[in-house]
Amino acid sequence: MAIPVKDDTKLVTVKIDDKEYQVPAGANLVDLAKWYADNDIPVFCYHPKLEPVGMCRMCLVELGSIMRDRETGDVVLDDNGEPTVRWFPKLQTACTQTASDGMVVRTNTEAVDETRENVLEFLLTSHPLDCPICDKGGECPLQNLTMEHGPQESRMIYSDKMHLQKHVPLGDLIFLDRERCIQCARCVRFQDELVGDAVLGFHERGRRLQIITSSDPGFDTYFSGNTTDICPVGALTTADFRFGARPWEMTEIPSISPWDAAGENISLSMRLDRDFGGRAMIKRVMPRQNEYVNELWISDKTRFGHHFTRSLDRLVEPMVSFGDKLTDQSWNDAYKAAVTALEGASGDVAAIAGGAISNEDLWELRQLVEGLGGSRLGAWPPTHGGADLVAEVGVGQDTNLKELGAGDAILVVASDLEEEVPIWRLRLKRAQDRGAYLVVANARPTRMEEFALDTQRNDKPVEGAAVRYAPGEAAAAISDLKSSNKDVYDRLADATNLVVVAGADGLDLDGNKALMQACANLLIETDHVGKANNGLMSPIPGPNGMGLHYLGYTPEVTQDIVANPPKVLIVAQAEPAEDDPTATEWLSKVDTVITLSLFPDRTTSYASIVLPIQSFAERDGTFVNGERRVQRFYTAQGPLGEAVPAWKILTTIREKLGQGRAKLSAAAVMLEITKNVDVFAEMRYKNLSQVTRQFPEIGGDDLYYGGTAYQNRGGLGIQIPSAADSGKVKAGKVASVKATKASKGELIALPITELYNRSNAFMPSGLVHARVAVPYVTLSSSDADDLGLVDGDLVEVSFEGGAVRVRATVGDVPAGVALLPQHLTDEPTPIVPTVVTLSKIAQPVLA
Amino acid sequence: MSDTPNIILRANDVENIRDFDVYVENGGYEALKKSLEMGRDEVINVVKASNLRGRGGAGFPAGIKWSFIPKNEPIKYVCVNADESETGTFKDRLIMETNPHQLIEGALIAAYAIGAKAVYIYLRGEFWDVAHDLDERIAAAREAGFIGENIQDSGWDCEVYTHLGAGAYICGEETALLNSLEGLLGQPRVRPPFPANKGGGLYKEPTVVNNVETLANVPWIINNGADAYKAIGTEQSSGTKLYCVSGHVKNPGVFELPFTTTFRELLYDICGGPRNEGTSFKAMLPSGGSGPIVPLTDEVLDTRMSYEDTAKLGTIIGSASLIIMDDTVDITWVASKVTKFFKHESCGKCTPCREGTYWLDKVIDRIMAGEGTPKDVELIANVANNMQGATLCALGDFAANPIIHTIKQFPDDFAKHVQGDTEMAVAGD
Ligand SMILES: Cc1cc2nc3c(=O)[nH]c(=O)nc-3n(C[C@H](O)[C@H](O)[C@H](O)COP(=O)(O)O)c2cc1C
Ligand code: SF4
Ligand code: SF4
Ligand code: FES
Repeated sequence: MAIPVKDDTKLVTVKIDDKEYQVPAGANLVDLAKWYADNDIPVFCYHPKLEPVGMCRMCLVELGSIMRDRETGDVVLDDNGEPTVRWFPKLQTACTQTASDGMVVRTNTEAVDETRENVLEFLLTSHPLDCPICDKGGECPLQNLTMEHGPQESRMIYSDKMHLQKHVPLGDLIFLDRERCIQCARCVRFQDELVGDAVLGFHERGRRLQIITSSDPGFDTYFSGNTTDICPVGALTTADFRFGARPWEMTEIPSISPWDAAGENISLSMRLDRDFGGRAMIKRVMPRQNEYVNELWISDKTRFGHHFTRSLDRLVEPMVSFGDKLTDQSWNDAYKAAVTALEGASGDVAAIAGGAISNEDLWELRQLVEGLGGSRLGAWPPTHGGADLVAEVGVGQDTNLKELGAGDAILVVASDLEEEVPIWRLRLKRAQDRGAYLVVANARPTRMEEFALDTQRNDKPVEGAAVRYAPGEAAAAISDLKSSNKDVYDRLADATNLVVVAGADGLDLDGNKALMQACANLLIETDHVGKANNGLMSPIPGPNGMGLHYLGYTPEVTQDIVANPPKVLIVAQAEPAEDDPTATEWLSKVDTVITLSLFPDRTTSYASIVLPIQSFAERDGTFVNGERRVQRFYTAQGPLGEAVPAWKILTTIREKLGQGRAKLSAAAVMLEITKNVDVFAEMRYKNLSQVTRQFPEIGGDDLYYGGTAYQNRGGLGIQIPSAADSGKVKAGKVASVKATKASKGELIALPITELYNRSNAFMPSGLVHARVAVPYVTLSSSDADDLGLVDGDLVEVSFEGGAVRVRATVGDVPAGVALLPQHLTDEPTPIVPTVVTLSKIAQPVLA
Repeated sequence: MSDTPNIILRANDVENIRDFDVYVENGGYEALKKSLEMGRDEVINVVKASNLRGRGGAGFPAGIKWSFIPKNEPIKYVCVNADESETGTFKDRLIMETNPHQLIEGALIAAYAIGAKAVYIYLRGEFWDVAHDLDERIAAAREAGFIGENIQDSGWDCEVYTHLGAGAYICGEETALLNSLEGLLGQPRVRPPFPANKGGGLYKEPTVVNNVETLANVPWIINNGADAYKAIGTEQSSGTKLYCVSGHVKNPGVFELPFTTTFRELLYDICGGPRNEGTSFKAMLPSGGSGPIVPLTDEVLDTRMSYEDTAKLGTIIGSASLIIMDDTVDITWVASKVTKFFKHESCGKCTPCREGTYWLDKVIDRIMAGEGTPKDVELIANVANNMQGATLCALGDFAANPIIHTIKQFPDDFAKHVQGDTEMAVAGD
């Protein structure tokens, strides 16, 4: 494998410490020395994912080039017949050099050694001796490089060292220690270049140069935690982990983010902890490198949202209601109750599963239902269809969003990616930076739309377009793009590669399905399917939305279950009554509701049997991400109370029902899946845990190169081929969609997603509470005028099945609709566009 | 000496040359008109042939710099470096105050030569009154059709703007200047790309950055030809130079002289020798705080003040800001003062300069307080050495110079401090 550079076809010869290497022209010298020559040039400010700045001077090397005769182009030879090298008079920073033919580098000379020692000595003159209490100690680039290259003794003998502020909150989540900062600008560049939120910067100059945040509230982005990983010292720490543990006390367990379709690869840093009864506890969540999925980054939700795994609110004992009240029961009695209920259903058994449940659980659940003669398997929430189309024309084999760039195009439609799948938003924005044409279509403004409308980013031109359609008209907007927006259509059609992300923002299931079909058709018609870096993605909620599809769970069946409630319904890691105000109505029509739940909630209160399941951290399993990559997560934390993995509960019930021997491990369940479900044929655990060499090569001893993100030892996962990857696919008919209609005085509430919300799984992470929005509804200024509302008014929003009190905000939305975020209020709000009425409760509170 | 013309300080010959009408009456803007007729390539050729070297300090040939600008790029800029922040430098201000149109004309010729449509004059923040005055001169030239659209019916458009910095020495460094102009933090950029390259200049477009004095020479060269210019000065240093003299001389000031002039001629004949009776010259910083200090020996005094001759002394003429010190001055104190200046002005972007200036200052404070040891002197010499050549921009080298060269040239002055003798007279503030 060659270092990925723009054009890796042109190879040049570079000599490093007297050995020659063939490397792609234009490759960065630090990168190529490491990749080809196993030569770790020390760096502080350089990071393989950021633009070089040449600030720290740690990477100085001797640099020269082989002299060629101007006229003939021949190499000029010296008296000994050796090529003559023209050396730069001064050492040069390797991080700002790119490979060119005849480049000669020396990294092992006395001058280089001395310079490295000198730079370290300079850095240490004003660096505090904090190592014994510093979170970075033990995995600190400055510490490591000082051991390797630094001076043994200090010549800076002063009793009064430099003193600066040591606990500066840059926001709620990140603290800055000004004494430790070595002014490398990695954090600044991460925010500027990768995130596109330029909220960090430098202030002052000279030794007074310091990091400041310019946002209010401070350092307010969904990616802030990554700066603590790439900070080469302990200057940036997270409020979650700081002073929590020493790196060497922790064991790293590979896992997968439990939140969204990206399937970020993570590492759970575990330590036996007093705060958790002396058992292994998650001390922090770190990125684990998977260049296909999340590279070296994770969202703050993934990093800081882990507290639910040991929340005191979790269900820790089975509960059964024999009369009207759920009471704690032993597992034995709970199993008995479940078996009795299931046997008494005479085959009228159905299941609804959420998107955060693993494939192994889904398999056992399906076997259970089908074994009893049932067939209805529903996916929750019943808002996102089109998983079948993602399976058909989803992004091709070996797709890597980081390869999208000039000549390529991206269409994001009906999705607020920043809030739904932050890592996709990070990587797709980056693709736009590299030259991809970004089109965002929605009925309302989103962060991604702002990017699409940018013309310039970090001094480089970027291109994109925004398409606004009337609420609910997403499918038509895409189907008609060719006639309504020819320029945009042509750019998409003519793109070398085209990736389409289509969601359900502001749509119901029919609207979303029609949109997915329209997008699939666009991809098929323009020949953007069945190849890498082309195809369809969808932010289906949860980390295993695609797993639901592959194992036979669909939202259509959920609708059917809602319309025709079964005798016995198994609700598996889904919270319908928490999400949907109409759920209580249909749940109450089910004779027996059995739930497999993490938390007691509105749904469990309709259940007669409640079985506590383990979270992703307590067990192993697999998820299929939105790019159809099957990825494995491992057992990290001990079980909470008597919680049991869902697959195990289900396999036990099956045994008791006479459906065969219970399986003993998740791996055994997967083995059965591989034999029965074609697309999983290759997905044995052993295969899923394979890792191949990744660029950039991070982890290992040279933490200074890539930051503290973890080397992947848990597997890169395997992508399920799309139907288009293995054969021809045909465009389908886009069904016409019935629009939700409102009468005078009513509005249509469009449900939207807030990344940080009051869902049961997120609430236990108290640190992030301050970031959860105050419940609100956004409406147009004309509707606000009609209703006599102003910004800040408290209003009651009423709809079928309930009402919530929220703050009114006036914003850029079409007249007739109101944006109503989900999961911000205690009471559920509609999950699909729904007719609502608004009434004013009080005047705005004046500050 | 007396037969060399005043190329720059024409106010000495012509009263009120600063006014547009007077400037034009005395041949002003003829060089621009002539350039428009000559064509871009010929203008560059003449400037190249004149061997006009940059007066901002580095002495890089201006014509060659202009020829680096790619021809096929649609957008290019000229930036006039009027940051003039070097200690002891006060010549650019004099040019802008007494002969502003010659600068404007020179900048316009440069812009025409490279095909730029905008000239930015970047002035240090303290020069706000100069900037206001320049704005008026620019307006007058604009009214007469030398600035704006279709200049003198040539089909070429060009605007001239002034821009005030916020008071940082580092913003005189050309890439920090560009950052500052763009509204970014005033820190130097990594090179390559250089300002003349696509990607390296103002707003990433190819840009020529020239010092005020450099550009003020251009109209004369166009009017009189390269040979006439080369006839003045030395082999490698053509033309005249503005020398700024400050410190312990009787008549300090700015003097325009050919490069053939020796230090002795300037300091004795023109500046009248040591300021106070009974004192003698001890040392000189020939290029402000940033260049190596030299003792004012006979050998030095008899050296010509050209690029090549001063190099032989192990120093530079740089921007020609001669700070003269008599024998009452304690050179350790000088080292301390200059170090404080650089510590204050380091931009902090790169490690050796940011930390080195801070460290040097701490140790030299200790030495000045009489608490230093001979080891401390060795230490700072070594620290300064380690800074040199390792920094991102030349300021780091400048900051090391005062330590390295004061210790080298005046070891006794340091010896006295570390032996506890601080009795030595200290120059007045
Ligand atoms: C720290 C530093 C400060 C500088 N300050 C100035 C200045 O104030 N004025 C100036 O003309 N050049 C200054 N320079 C030099 C410029 O970087 C640049 O070389 C010059 O403007 C080029 O113009 P010239 O070729 O006409 O001399 C400085 C350089 C450095 C490294
Ligand atoms: S806080 Fe860390 S990442 Fe940011 S500049 Fe300082 S040392 Fe670098
Ligand atoms: S040498 Fe000094 S002024 Fe120049 S970039 Fe480095 S810190 Fe800034
Ligand atoms: S200067 Fe190259 S790594 Fe910092």
